[in-house]
Amino acid sequence: MRPQMTCPKCGAEMNHQADKLREPTTQEEAETSRLGGIVIAVFACPSCGWIASQPLREDS
Amino acid sequence: MSEHAARAVLAEIQKRPGIETELIDAATLPIPTDEAGEAAKSPAFAEAMNRADAIVLVAPEYNRGYPGLLKHVLDTNLHEYIHKAVGVVGVSSGIFGGARVIDNLLPVLRELGLVTIFWDVNVNNARTRFDENGELVDDAFLSIDKFLDELVWMAETLRHGRERVTLGGPA
Repeated sequence: MRPQMTCPKCGAEMNHQADKLREPTTQEEAETSRLGGIVIAVFACPSCGWIASQPLREDS
Repeated sequence: MSEHAARAVLAEIQKRPGIETELIDAATLPIPTDEAGEAAKSPAFAEAMNRADAIVLVAPEYNRGYPGLLKHVLDTNLHEYIHKAVGVVGVSSGIFGGARVIDNLLPVLRELGLVTIFWDVNVNNARTRFDENGELVDDAFLSIDKFLDELVWMAETLRHGRERVTLGGPA
């Protein structure tokens, strides 16, 4: 299932535009990641342009 | 000298209709130095980066590299940068016009998710390029029009892609 996100600024459905690896920020993240960091799904709002992200499950 | 260069670049950008821009001095941001990465995030700077479609970095070259403070500030955001355009203006007191700071920044910008343009602006011999009021005294910005044309094109194209093109194709 594709990740989805609602714009926190205007409420529109956002567009999933990228998956990005970011460095772990906690020991738990470092220990549970197989990719060397946490993958975040990055979204852009087609209505207001806002950018937001959420952690992506490694198996998605 | 890089502050003078930044103001001169800002003036060039402001000549272009339809572009809203803001000058941000990395040295004045309220970002702690005893934290790193997104833990040191400034909400105001993050919001400015979120709103931006493109970023122009005006970077002085020190000992062939970029200032540590600039890297520290850039590291405070991540998703705000993804698939946005960036161009670099290198500033140095030597003859190479910051070419080495630009080269050293490119892998950092790529890892942050920014998309670099292929035009640069090089301000060499920076101490002789500005008068006592910080005004350009000669044609130091030979490539600025090409640089901004490319940056605006990339910014518009990437905005379309961010908002309309879905990763992995249509559902």
